[in-house]
Order: sequence, then C-alpha cells, then structure tokens
Amino acid sequence: MAKTYDYLFKLLLIGDSGVGKTCVLFRFSEDAFNTTFISTIGIDFKIRTIDLDGKKIKLQIWDTAGQERFRTITTAYYRGAMGIMLVYDITNEKSFENIKNWIRNIEENASADVEKMLLGNKCELEEKRQVSKERGEQLAVEYGIKFIETSAKASIRVEDAFFTLARDIKTKMEKKLEASNPPKGGHKLTPTEPMKKPTSWLSRCTLL
Amino acid sequence: MPDCSENFESEIDDGKNKRLVKCKYCSSVILTPASATFSSFEYKLPLIKQNKGNVVNPETEDVLQFWVVNDMMTFYNVGFSNTVGSTKYLTCADCETGPIGYYDIPSKISYVALSRESNSYIIFHMIMLCNI
Ligand SMILES: Nc1nc2c(ncn2[C@@H]2O[C@H](COP(=O)(O)OP(=O)(O)O)[C@@H](O)[C@H]2O)c(=O)[nH]1
Ligand SMILES: [Mg+2]
Ligand SMILES: [Zn+2]
Repeated sequence: MAKTYDYLFKLLLIGDSGVGKTCVLFRFSEDAFNTTFISTIGIDFKIRTIDLDGKKIKLQIWDTAGQERFRTITTAYYRGAMGIMLVYDITNEKSFENIKNWIRNIEENASADVEKMLLGNKCELEEKRQVSKERGEQLAVEYGIKFIETSAKASIRVEDAFFTLARDIKTKMEKKLEASNPPKGGHKLTPTEPMKKPTSWLSRCTLL
Repeated sequence: MPDCSENFESEIDDGKNKRLVKCKYCSSVILTPASATFSSFEYKLPLIKQNKGNVVNPETEDVLQFWVVNDMMTFYNVGFSNTVGSTKYLTCADCETGPIGYYDIPSKISYVALSRESNSYIIFHMIMLCNI
C-alpha cells in the first residue's frame, strides 16, 4: 500500500510522577466522570498526523505508564525515540530540580541525538508557582534545548509544544539527509529521498 | 440484532472506505479515504459506557462491519489503549471516545467498527428502526 506520510517520529514524555505527563498527552479529565471503558483501562499511545511545511508527519506519542515512579525508565522505553518532552510542574520545585537527573537518565539510555524539549506544566496555577519562567528558560539554555510553559488543564500551548518538537526533529533529519546526499552543482535539492522503512523501531518494540 | 442495513454499501468503493472515517462525537479524522478495507464478521465489542469496575467482564454488543487496517501507521489520528489479553482497544485521539474498534496484537491488524464512526449514523438509525 502507498505510504500515507513523509516522516514518522516516536515521541516520549519524561518527568517526575504527578507533573502532568498523562494529561499533556491525553485529554484532561476530572476523575469524577471516569466511568467509560477506555478511561478505566487507560491509553498506551496515540498516533497523530500533522502537516508541517507541506510534509505529512506521523507522531507516535507514548506515555510512561507510571514507570517513572520507581525512577527506572528502562532502555526499552527509550528505544527508537526521536523526541523527548521533559516535563516538570511549575508549582513543584523538586520536579524542576529532578530534570537534571532525567537528562542524565536519557543520556544513559536513549540515542545520543534524540531531540529534547523542556515543558513547565500547570502554568495556569500562577498563585502556586515555585519555579519562575526565567529559571526554566535558563535551564533550557544550559542544555541547548527549547522551553515552553504549558497547561494541560487549560489547554495552553500543548499543541505548540508538540509542533515545535516535531519541527526540530524534521529539520535535523533533513539536514542529515542533505549531508549524506550532498547536492551537486551548488543548487539545493529538496530531499526527495524516501525515509527508511519506518517499521524498524516499531517491530523491535516489545510492547506491541 | 437484525442486520437489515444495506446502506453501508454506499460507503465502500472498490472494497475500501469511500469517505473520510471520522469520530462520531467530535469529527476528528481517523482514516483518510481508501486507506482501509471493508470486512464483515461478528465481534463482541465492549460498550462505550460501562458500570464502574466492569473491565474484566465488560458489557458487549455484536458488531458486524469493520474497516480493516493492516499497518497501524495508516491511521490519521487514533489512540491505542493498554493491553487487555491479546487486544488493544482503539479510541478517538481527540475526545478519547472508545472503543471504536480493536487491535489484534498477534496479527498486528486493526479493526474499526463502522457502527462507531461518523458515516454510520444513517446505518445506526436504520438498525434502530429495525429494532422497533
Ligand atoms: N492545575 C493543573 N493540574 C494539572 C495539569 N496537568 C495535570 N494536572 C493534574 O496533575 C495531576 C497529575 O497528572 P498526571 O497527568 O497523572 O501526571 P503524570 O504522573 O506525570 O502522568 C493530576 O491530578 C492532574 O489532574 C495542569 O496543567 N494544571
Ligand atoms: Mg502518568
Ligand atoms: Zn472524538
């Protein structure tokens, strides 16, 4: 069957328990009306198609299923990941300090060129804020990654965050393609090279 | 349930879905045209609304018509539930209504129930009329 997309990116959410990772990925729902079959068993991952500069991008976004509670995100979870959202809670100092530990965990377990982004979630809770926006920005600069404050509850900039991360991965990928396939005669060629069969990481994924 | 609807035939073109397959509740696009094949068989799909704590033995209904998707990456937008037995249930990626179908882990094939997507509401009403 004809491929219906140009790129396929596997994205993960990482951060302390309680910062709102599940809510960022899934719909924010108050526990009160969690009475449907699906909300009881929970959602594992989502597939979303977005359009970036005329390219169809498939995002496969995974939640940690609570593994982070034991501070042991396994190598299996990171396998094939091309983008990681590092999430902290702006009302929780500890979750911000732990970002450093999560970055170390990523360096030990994930592929070296995985694209990272820092999210300060729950930004609508201004009166409970413990981590200033400036500190978030500063940490991001330190690690050379992008930063955005979000609120899963108020639907603030969550989609922007995923678009930004996806765009950065795409840019990186197209640079790589160009480098391995240098245009002749000084004219920039658009990379028409089809992506490598994108099932490699999927078929290796033990969860499926 | 009497299967008195021939209406779904109009949704099929060359064995595939003629139109966009969307969520019945929020119109999120699940499949683009001609990306899934039609198949008819009987499957007991859990109802969307359940009594609390009914996950082990959920109430089900017989579903008879499906869009078959061989590669999960064909989906435009969709959610996959956590595993139950050898199955993951499919949901709308936006409003998370589900199950709208299921994914069979051993075969890696996904099935979207026609009765739980937008084009089906006519069929759905036909069946309701049949039941009266
Ligand atoms: N006020 C507020 N609460 C949030 C936000 N995002 C998540 N929460 C709440 O934070 C708690 C933990 O969220 P959850 O997504 O389960 O965190 P996880 O452990 O990182 O997956 C839940 O009670 C959520 O309702 C947000 O943006 N604002
Ligand atoms: Mg969670
Ligand atoms: Zn929906």
